[in-house]
Amino acid sequence: MNTILFQLSGALATILLAFTVGMFYGGIRRKIIARIQNRVGPPIYQNFLDVIKLYSKDTSIHHGAMQHMGPVFAITASITSLMFIPVLNGDGWFWFKNLNFSGDLIFLVYMMVFGSLGMALGAGQTGNPNSAIGVTRGLSQMVGYEIPFVMSMVALMAQFHTTSITGLMNIQMQENTWLMFSNPFAFIAAVLAMLGMFHYSPFDIVHAPAEVASGPVSEFGGKYLGLMMSSGSIFAFVKLTLFVDVFMGGAANLIELVIKTFALYLIPVLYGVVSPRYRTEQAITYFWKWPLFFGILAILWASF
Amino acid sequence: MNSLILLLILVFGGALLSYLLNKFLPILRDGFVVLLMLLVNYVFFTMDSATQIEFEIGGIHLQWAFSSAAFLFGIIVSILGLLSITYSTAYMQGKDRLGYFYMNFLFSIGSMLGILMSRDLISLFFFWEIMTWSSYLIVIYSGKDVDKRGLKYIVFSAIGAYSMLMAIVIIYGFTGSFLLTDIFDSIFAIKASYQLAIAILLMIGFGVKSAMMPLHVWASGAYSGSPMSFTALFSGALSKMGVFGFSLVLFNLVSNQNWLINEIIAWLAAITAVLATFYAVIQSDAKKLLAYSSIAQLGYIVIGLASGTYLGVMAGLFLAVLHAVFKGTLFMAVGAVEKQAGTTDMTKVSGLIRKMPWTFTASLISIIALAGIPPLGGFVGKWMLYEALITSDHYYLVIMVFLSSTAAFLYSYRILFGLFLGQEEPEFAHVKEAPLPMLIPMLLLSGISVLSGTFPGFILEPIQNAMVSFGFDPRLPNIEWWQLSVLFNSWGDKVVLQNVMISITAVFLIALTLITWKGYKKQRYVTTKDISSSGEIIQAEDNMTFQIDFYKPFERAIWPLLKRKIDDYYTDFGNGLEALFDLVKRIYNGNGQFYAIYVMAFLALLLIAGTKYFGF
Repeated sequence: MNTILFQLSGALATILLAFTVGMFYGGIRRKIIARIQNRVGPPIYQNFLDVIKLYSKDTSIHHGAMQHMGPVFAITASITSLMFIPVLNGDGWFWFKNLNFSGDLIFLVYMMVFGSLGMALGAGQTGNPNSAIGVTRGLSQMVGYEIPFVMSMVALMAQFHTTSITGLMNIQMQENTWLMFSNPFAFIAAVLAMLGMFHYSPFDIVHAPAEVASGPVSEFGGKYLGLMMSSGSIFAFVKLTLFVDVFMGGAANLIELVIKTFALYLIPVLYGVVSPRYRTEQAITYFWKWPLFFGILAILWASF
Repeated sequence: MNSLILLLILVFGGALLSYLLNKFLPILRDGFVVLLMLLVNYVFFTMDSATQIEFEIGGIHLQWAFSSAAFLFGIIVSILGLLSITYSTAYMQGKDRLGYFYMNFLFSIGSMLGILMSRDLISLFFFWEIMTWSSYLIVIYSGKDVDKRGLKYIVFSAIGAYSMLMAIVIIYGFTGSFLLTDIFDSIFAIKASYQLAIAILLMIGFGVKSAMMPLHVWASGAYSGSPMSFTALFSGALSKMGVFGFSLVLFNLVSNQNWLINEIIAWLAAITAVLATFYAVIQSDAKKLLAYSSIAQLGYIVIGLASGTYLGVMAGLFLAVLHAVFKGTLFMAVGAVEKQAGTTDMTKVSGLIRKMPWTFTASLISIIALAGIPPLGGFVGKWMLYEALITSDHYYLVIMVFLSSTAAFLYSYRILFGLFLGQEEPEFAHVKEAPLPMLIPMLLLSGISVLSGTFPGFILEPIQNAMVSFGFDPRLPNIEWWQLSVLFNSWGDKVVLQNVMISITAVFLIALTLITWKGYKKQRYVTTKDISSSGEIIQAEDNMTFQIDFYKPFERAIWPLLKRKIDDYYTDFGNGLEALFDLVKRIYNGNGQFYAIYVMAFLALLLIAGTKYFGF
């Protein structure tokens, strides 16, 4: 009983941590974009206010069961992926152990697409053509960035003969190095893929405000949008933590984790803020040029 | 009576009886075929594993036996056979020539069981031909563009059959026996080049049925053109006979050192998987989409088998079983849509989710399994496949598989959106849920998809038994099937399926409860016309459907790959042959004067050559 309570409270703490960090990062991003565009911008806690507002609003319509469940799928995927990602390395803080030892990288890659597919189904039932267009764009783009991402992951797995994240982290602890230096090409390919993964400009074709009226989310308001925003924040944390764990040796404590994830987070944000949006096919083929090349190099590097 | 003979008599006799019943007592026909398949299942599952029978016909020694590999594939055939026959009774309601249909249906089930049980090449070939012909007769059942679809199927099947026959003749010439056990013992004694020739010829034979590139061109037409109740079996079970044949060749007829064959097959299968997936993405007919997706999925299965490692073969066979389960369901669901709404063209039909909720549920589950998303069965197969390829150093093959399965999300979404989601059109307002005989098989099969995601043991155990017969050491822990939930790769990394299931279910239920509980009473349903559209008010007659050119940007991105189809190469080959025949015709133009000139020219040539080289 004690252990179940212990695990549940650990899980809750992890979720809360991910939510808070993700929300603040979103707020900071808004601030950065505003400053670069020479505006004052909202305060960095603005996203919290937004979520609270959205949860407290009444939702009076729905388009059917699938739409109702779409955001639920999204948050299920975010939280489940979070449960399988080691937050801190070594014995760091045993409380955050969750289900770290029950899945590996391949599982995680699949778990991470679960949410977008569920969300896509929800958006589909609303019947809004903009939603469907956004979904087709998102899925097409996924085929683009998943390839270099998986190539860099395969390169790491091949190089160190383990497919588990904890295995990769232990190797970094033992050899006292970061994998971004052990296999630099894998890191480059993964970071380029990360640009697409975050759906920030220039890869913001899914939500594309001026084109498809915010795409898949256009029929979701109130509690649905609130749930989706929470899910998005948690998911951003999941992605960043995964990259830190795999490439930057994980983090020994929460402060180190925040510093490392924030440094990584700045890459898509700063790259996006100065880049105009791609067309959809450009956003797909972008990943099949240099990122793919670096992915192939990474695998070659790993196998020789 | 020997239960092997009983099984075959039941199916083949039942086939003829169902034809007669349709003639004289059509009212009993449906009940009869379902009862018959139930009986077949009973006999199949109670059969003693040591059952075998030997006899001689015309001096040729024949042997039928029941092996564990046969049992594995037999499970697919008998269960899917039963369910698709049950489905047929409602799906084929009101169509004519039902005697013809059921007879050929049962013939193909019987011939598949025959293939699995034959332990000699003659009966294998005999049943293989029955299977080809009975399925061909159903492919042309609808009578629509028979010369295109039917011809392609029968021509490719004939190519396969001839190369198989050639292989059988070569084998007999060297070993002097048709019995598989004799052949397996003596095959490695013959010259390596002949071994290779035998392997390639047999692969062509089996490759046609498992729709491997470049022998796949018949599949999309044949799968989408037959009645959907048969296609469920066609794609689910019949194509697995090719996989069964592959496993025979790869594990018994090719020595393990011959990695080149394995690599070539695996890469061919990977290219098949990628290209077929891309074709599936750009289809707008649900049947065609599923047909191409079947080709792609068979690619994964063959990759797994060809990888040759324990986990890879297990993944291949697991995906073979799972593919029968989820693709069977999907073809049935598309058939249900065709039956109820009248079309499967996704540019016409849309928004059926509220009319056919159970069909949608079954398709949703099967699509999740197909896409390999946890926690359903497809994920287990995909996971094993990836881990097997990575741990055996096939890094680029992994990328190919990954490209194909990521692109598979596109068509997975397309089929769900195209048929069930999207705008609800008034012209489909009358559509009703499919009748129970169609729903029950679909829901049962999707139940298997769900169960196998957390408790894959009940499929993995027969697979392991089959693999032991291929010469692998058993590696599964010796526990009951419901306790098996941790999968390992050969580096010792694992995935704990029950934890995955628990986590997903718990989070899903909590989030669903919270979101439903908040303001549940105040929420009301609005139609799909009641959507945000930048301030405009959408009228009932406004067309808000987005179905045409669904993946146009993606199509533009992959266009260089799709510019030329394999089909075109065959057409070119055909045109080339025609040109050759044209040339021949010009030489033999039927004019006596020309023939005289040819004779003169030949004599002159002979004279010159003779004086120069032979000196006369």
